[in-house]
Amino acid sequence: MALQDLCKDVFHEAVSTERISPSFGQKTGGCNYVSRLPFTNSTNLLHFYIPVAEYLDESPIQFGQIRPIQSSEAVSFQGSLLTSSLPENLPFASSQPVPLPFPMAHGTTTLAFMFQGGVLAAADTRSSCSGLVACPASQKILPIHSHLVGTTSGTSADCALWKRILARELQLYQLRNGRRLSTRGAAKLLSHMLHPFKGTELCVAATLCGWDGGELDDGCCDDGVTETDHSDNTETRKSQRTDLEMIGDAAAEKVSESKAKTQSASFPQQCCDKKKKSFSGPSLVYVCSDGTRLQGRLFSVGSGSPYAYSILDQGVHWALAVEEATAIAREAVYRATHRDAYSGNCVDIYHITSKGWTRRTREDLKEEYYREKERRRHEGETQRDFAGVKT
Amino acid sequence: MALFQVSEYKPYSELRRQIIPGGRIVDRPNHFSFNTNTHEFAVPLGVDPSSFLKSCNHDGGVCIDLNHGTTTLAFKFRHGVIVAVDSRASAGNYLASKDANKVIEINSYLLGTMSGSAADCQHWERLLAKECRLYRLRNNHRISVAAASKLLSNMMLGYRGMGLSMGSMICGWDKQGPGLYYVDDNGTRLSGHMFSTGCGNSYAYGVVDSGYKEDMTVEEAYELGRRGITHATHRDAYSGGVVNMYHMREDGWIKVCRDDVSELIHRYREGMF
Repeated sequence: MALQDLCKDVFHEAVSTERISPSFGQKTGGCNYVSRLPFTNSTNLLHFYIPVAEYLDESPIQFGQIRPIQSSEAVSFQGSLLTSSLPENLPFASSQPVPLPFPMAHGTTTLAFMFQGGVLAAADTRSSCSGLVACPASQKILPIHSHLVGTTSGTSADCALWKRILARELQLYQLRNGRRLSTRGAAKLLSHMLHPFKGTELCVAATLCGWDGGELDDGCCDDGVTETDHSDNTETRKSQRTDLEMIGDAAAEKVSESKAKTQSASFPQQCCDKKKKSFSGPSLVYVCSDGTRLQGRLFSVGSGSPYAYSILDQGVHWALAVEEATAIAREAVYRATHRDAYSGNCVDIYHITSKGWTRRTREDLKEEYYREKERRRHEGETQRDFAGVKT
Repeated sequence: MALFQVSEYKPYSELRRQIIPGGRIVDRPNHFSFNTNTHEFAVPLGVDPSSFLKSCNHDGGVCIDLNHGTTTLAFKFRHGVIVAVDSRASAGNYLASKDANKVIEINSYLLGTMSGSAADCQHWERLLAKECRLYRLRNNHRISVAAASKLLSNMMLGYRGMGLSMGSMICGWDKQGPGLYYVDDNGTRLSGHMFSTGCGNSYAYGVVDSGYKEDMTVEEAYELGRRGITHATHRDAYSGGVVNMYHMREDGWIKVCRDDVSELIHRYREGMF
C-alpha cells in the first residue's frame, strides 16, 4: 500500500489500461490474464504487471458457478483482496444451479422391503463414475443408529455426508427427548434438511429402514405388529401419504382395532394420548433430494432397480421367513448386477428387527455367477444335440 | 436387363425424369431389392432429416424423446422360441390403444415383434414380409431367419440418423433350427437366445433371467413368458393390456394365449400383501 501511494499515478495508469482492454483470456468465472507483457509500454520500472486472476477472489464453494455479474470492479489488486472470499450468496440462499465439474452417473441397485420378520435392506457395492468403477467395495447401506439403517443412492459423497448429519440430529433428539425418533420422523427430518438444496445438483435418494421402538408402549409391541399388517394394507392401497398427520390417523385406526383385541383398559387410553408414537414395528420410508417422501412396503432405487423390482414383485409377501427373504433379496440384487452395468461386485444385506440391525457377510456375486454358469452348462450338456440351441 | 432393352420397358424413374427434369428420382418399388444399380434411398427432395433431428435433441433445447414404449420379449429354449408381447400403444400420456397387435406374422415360420414407433414398425415389417415372399417366389425355398433379419437391418441402415424408431425381434425356424435376432433402428443386428425390448424390458429381464432353464418344459416356458410381460406391465407405465404369446415350433408358429395382464397380476400376487 505504501508502494502504491508512492507510485500511485503510475499504478492507476496501468490499471486503467487494463480496464480498457478486455483480454482474450477472459471467460466467465475463469482466470483473467492481461495480455500485455510487462515493461512494454513504458520505461518506468514501476510499471509492473499484475495479473488479475479472478479465481483468487471467488470462494471455493462457487467452483464452477456461473457468475451473473462479471467482477470487473475488482480491478485494483488491493481491492480484489478485500472484497474477497466471503461468499455473498451461500448455497442455502442461492437458487442457481452449480454445474458439476464432470458428469457423475448415479448407478446402483438398492432395495428394501418389509415383512413379518422386520425389514430387509440389500444393495450392491459398486461405486461408478460414468464408466469407471471407482470403488468395487463401497458401502451403500449405512447404519444410522441401532434400529435404523439407510440405503443410499445418488452421489456417494452427498449420501455419506447427509447420513452422518442425520445420525447426529437423531442422536441429539434422543438425548433431548429420551427416546428414539421414529423412522417417519427421521425421514421428514432428512427431507426438510435437503429441501434448501432443491434445484441444485445435490442428489440423494435414500430409503430409511427401521424398527420403531416399543420403549414406552411395551404392551402394544406384539399386537402392534399384527395390526400394522391390516391397516398398512389399506394404507398402501390408497394413495401414498406423506404427512405425519395422515399417518397418525392411520395409527389411530389401528388403535381402535387394538381396542377390541386387548384386555387392558389403560392401553388404548395411553395410545390415544400419544397417537403418533404408539406405532411400533417395521417401517420403511423413501426420501429423495427432489422432495419425494414416500412410505411403503417395498422400494428399489437406482439404475438397476427395474431388474430388481420384477424379482421382488414375484416373491415378496408378508409371511416370508427370514431365510427366504434373504434369498429373494440376494437374487434380486444378483439379477440387477447381471444386467446393469453400473451395479456389480458384491451384495450387502442388512436385517432390521426389534433388537436392532444385523449384517450378513458381504458376498461376492462373481461366485454366484460362476455357479449359475456351471449349472446352465451342465443342463446344456444333458440335452440332446440340438443345432442352433446353445447356451 | 437385356429383356428390358428388347421390350423397350421404361422404368418408372425414367418416366418421372421425363416429366420432372432434374433432381434425383428414385425408383420406388425396387430400391430394397437386390438390384445393384440403385443405391439411392427414398427421401423427399429438399428435406434433410438428419439435420432436422439434430435440432430436436437436448442440446438444441427441444426434447423429442423417441422412447420405445412397450415390453416385448422372446427366448429360445429346447422346444423352440417363445415370443410374448404386451398390447398397449401410447402417444405421450394418452393410451391410443389397449389392443394393439405388436407381432407381425410374416409367414407361417417367421414372426416379427414391434417396439418403438408403431408406424415405423408396421411399415418396415410389412415391407420385410413382402421381401420375404418375393424371395420365396424367386428362389423356391424359404428365406432363412438370418437373411430376413439382415434385410430388415439393411433397411434400417439406409435411414440411419433420420429418426426412425424401431426395436424388433425376428424369430423363426429354418434349416439351422430355431432362430432369434434383435434388429434395431440404428442397424444393430444381434443373434442371441434371449432378448427383451421396449422401456419395460428391464423388468422382463429380471424375471426371465431368474426363471430360465435350458430344459424347461413347454408349459414352464409359457408361464415364464407370461410372467415376464405381466411383471413388466405392473411396473412400467407404458406397457399393459394383454399378453399375446406365440410359440415357434418346427412346423410353424402357434398362438398360445391372449391373457389380460390385470387378471394375471392378481393371480400372481394373491395373498402377497
